[in-house]
Amino acid sequence: MIVEILITQMPYLLHGVWVALQLLVCLLALGFVLGLSLAILEVYGHWTLRWFGVLFERIFRGIPAIVLLLLFYYGVADFVDISAFTAAVLALGLRSAAYQSQIFRGSILSISQGQMLAARAMGMSKPMAIREIILPQALRLSIGPWTNEFSSEMKATSLAYVIGVVELTRQARYIISSTQGNILAVFAVVAALYFIFNWLGNWGLYRLERKLAVPGFEQGGQG
Amino acid sequence: MGRLLSKLAVGAVAAASLIGGAGAASAEPLVAGVEASFPPWAYVESGEYKGIAIDAMRAIAEDQGLEVEFRDLPWPSLIPALAKGRIDLLVTGLNITEERNEVLDFSIPWWENDDEVLVPLDSDLNVVTALCCGATVGAQGGATQLQWLEDNLGANEDVDVTLRSYEDYVTAVEDMGAGRLDAVVTSTDTAEDFIAKDRPVKIVGTIQQNQPQALAVQKGDPKELLGKLNAGIMNIYRSGEWEEIVRQYSPQSTIRPIPASMPDYVDAYQEPIPGYSE
Repeated sequence: MIVEILITQMPYLLHGVWVALQLLVCLLALGFVLGLSLAILEVYGHWTLRWFGVLFERIFRGIPAIVLLLLFYYGVADFVDISAFTAAVLALGLRSAAYQSQIFRGSILSISQGQMLAARAMGMSKPMAIREIILPQALRLSIGPWTNEFSSEMKATSLAYVIGVVELTRQARYIISSTQGNILAVFAVVAALYFIFNWLGNWGLYRLERKLAVPGFEQGGQG
Repeated sequence: MGRLLSKLAVGAVAAASLIGGAGAASAEPLVAGVEASFPPWAYVESGEYKGIAIDAMRAIAEDQGLEVEFRDLPWPSLIPALAKGRIDLLVTGLNITEERNEVLDFSIPWWENDDEVLVPLDSDLNVVTALCCGATVGAQGGATQLQWLEDNLGANEDVDVTLRSYEDYVTAVEDMGAGRLDAVVTSTDTAEDFIAKDRPVKIVGTIQQNQPQALAVQKGDPKELLGKLNAGIMNIYRSGEWEEIVRQYSPQSTIRPIPASMPDYVDAYQEPIPGYSE
């Protein structure tokens, strides 16, 4: 009987997946843009900017995701009228920025200093050297560690239901409560769905890593 | 590289517009907060809101010319969301309590509940042993049942019970099935819903509470909804629509006269009650 229910309810679970994926893309995009900027500031910026970057990263890495969600939904929403979805993107996206900044900072620092000196000696400005010399290598190196961030944020989207985002976990609870049971069967299917989409995402990222690898290049070309 | 970056920038812009789109919902219809995992009052089946409270609210809205959209929030968030004005009214099987009266205003009560003591179908416990002598008892966190258990049993050192709170009653009953709880105390209609859906539980006793339930709006009723809600409740009650809705979702329930008992401490029940006593 529960099998039948699960089959008829599958479109709603998949809609939940769709909402979760939208949330994931938005929060990772926010985290990427902000995280990369923070990393560049932390490595090359003035000490005040560096200090700001470190403070931001410490704060957002030091607070549990679920608390951030509640803070943004109930705190920020007092001043600006934002939807639950937006609050979730901000809370999880800023947190992701903190984590991603560390990924990018690490890979930027792994590019040898000599390259920057050589670029400057050839007459490139600092921003140009960062854009044309450092980042193309550092970003390639970041893909591997970034798959971790992708996976953990994919799973973190399941927390957004606490502020009323109707994603996969919430859809699952709908089935459980309308049938007053079947927790195990429903969450087994939900676990499988998270697993499949996580696996697909990682598969795509590893493919991207191979595709972008520069053949014969000594660093970052191991893929 | 430049191309990759510009693609990512496009992605970020698309993400931003998606956020904008999600946030730009029109402010026109009233937003009714529900906790959609609370059958028979409010739940989601096949992507649609259903339940007594949902259908009754739709009927009241039609009767009073209101436009209402439902928004699902977790149970512990509902009252804070109403207090902060993030939702305009609360539509579910909401018990009237003194604490809640401090932060919100109630419509006239449309229901009255007692609490039931549930035990596993094969349990030998009775109404007394299920709530004493080393028993572990579960209820939903933030619910009136848990409050009652804490005040009357947990606080009494002579009664040896361990209380556990759960996010919802499904988990509590499931945990009882796994042997981690001896009993679960829930409201009458929730208990009857479990039994109607063939969960392996039985009722061994009833705690008479005459607990009224109602809709709720923000404290002070800034949007002047109480008059319309009260008039709408009376209209669907008198027309028989209310009875039809309750029968559909909870055929075993006794329908009590509306308004049910109105506690003195509720501010919104001081005469004249808008939409009811005039």
